[in-house]
Amino acid sequence: MAEYAAVSGAGDLGEGEMRAFDVHGTQITVANVGGAFHAFDDTCTHLQCSLAEGDLEETTVICPCHGSEFDVTSGAVLQGPARKPLVTYETRVEGGTLEVEG
Amino acid sequence: MTETFVIVGAGLAGGGAAATLREEGFDGRVVLIGAEPQPPYERPPLSKEFLHGESSFEQALFQPLDFYGKNNIETRFGHRVTHVDATEKVIELDNRERVPYEALLVATGVRNRHIPIPGFDLEGIYGLRTVADSDQIRAEISPGRKAVVVGMGFIGSEVAASLRQSGVEVAVVDRNTVPLRRVLGEEVGRVVEEIHRDHGTELIFEDKVAAFEGAERVERVITQRGHRIECDFVVVGLGVEPATELLAGTGVDIGNGVLVDEYCRTSVEGIYAAGDVANHYHPVFERHIRVEHWQNALKQGPSAARNMLGENEPYDEIPWFWSDQYEHSLQYVGFHTEWDELVIRGSLEERNFVGFYRKDRRVLAAVAINRGRDLRRSIPLIKAQEEIAGAKLRDLDIDLRTLAGMQEIHR
Repeated sequence: MAEYAAVSGAGDLGEGEMRAFDVHGTQITVANVGGAFHAFDDTCTHLQCSLAEGDLEETTVICPCHGSEFDVTSGAVLQGPARKPLVTYETRVEGGTLEVEG
Repeated sequence: MTETFVIVGAGLAGGGAAATLREEGFDGRVVLIGAEPQPPYERPPLSKEFLHGESSFEQALFQPLDFYGKNNIETRFGHRVTHVDATEKVIELDNRERVPYEALLVATGVRNRHIPIPGFDLEGIYGLRTVADSDQIRAEISPGRKAVVVGMGFIGSEVAASLRQSGVEVAVVDRNTVPLRRVLGEEVGRVVEEIHRDHGTELIFEDKVAAFEGAERVERVITQRGHRIECDFVVVGLGVEPATELLAGTGVDIGNGVLVDEYCRTSVEGIYAAGDVANHYHPVFERHIRVEHWQNALKQGPSAARNMLGENEPYDEIPWFWSDQYEHSLQYVGFHTEWDELVIRGSLEERNFVGFYRKDRRVLAAVAINRGRDLRRSIPLIKAQEEIAGAKLRDLDIDLRTLAGMQEIHR
């Protein structure tokens, strides 16, 4: 069974907002898209910029450095220069706290 | 009869056009011809992460090696087109092969300008355009060696940073007062200068190279103002020229590259151009612009391909590029040649700002250092071409996305 870690404060994100959190030493960004929480590696697979510093447009996160675009629901690359997809994580709400797989 | 579309130039624009023809269902013959032996690859890493050993050539490939065969794209890598007969609609290659075409896309890019400086032909002096150039420079890199970088445009600035990051001692020579002055102006150029100074680069401005000296290899650079800089190798970044000579005698209008309309069409029916070589009529800026950057090659090649298929799609992407130097992310979006005001949002001192180049209170272009989110949010402002109060642009509490007439951010 997958392990989940509580991410304190992530549940407070408003719709259309995202923020990076340290989850067991990994920077994971949580994005609130229309009330659904999506979690993914904060580090862009192209040249390691922080995606939380970029923009979130619906389900697309845009890297602030080189413009790579990823689908936050699947991690798929929508627009280069990135080639490798993002790692995404399952999320769930337990006792009012958002938890992220991993 | 099977139609043949020929693409001359196998960089990102040419490769992207070939791929797009297949994606769009074109079932004729596609012939992709490139002077370099490699299949299409991306050039931005050549002066940055590839040069200082952080990434491999394979990571720069536009498509996997088997992509072209799988998609029935005939390739002629390592070959040049020697003649275009626009009347008979046939091209000839340097191996005498003749290929008739129904549509021809010219995506030959640019080449480094040859500079008439004494000693320019000595060994150890490099330009940087191809992966072969970057490999040669890489072979010169080792900690403690000394390099001179001539010209502090984007290539020179990035190379200087990559060499320093690899432990090479670097001196730069540039005729202007600060790096990138022609494009970014004095104020922003000063910020870039300080970044390079902080990393221990010797900066010589308002000076030019008078001669390269050495027995067989370059040993020193002599400047017009009398500097003698001992060195192990030299990288020259003094500009480029569009590779248009294959169109001589075709009747295609040439002027700072291959002149094309908003649909990437040249003045001769059936011949198109895209990428660095194309001087393209941009519907937003209402003038011809020639853009030598990754995003333009990436997007304009496919757009030209769709127009070859008869789609009548105007190409109106706002030019954008990045230039990573050391730990700093520099980006630029828009197009400007002159401006009457530079509005700064953020802090030049803290190297965290967007600078808006304005003319008649309209934003023509923006540059950012370490403020990429705001840079991307500036794109609608540039597209809208509206007058915007400088105070609003400066106000960090105002989301730039709320300032343009259109709410949806450009992709």
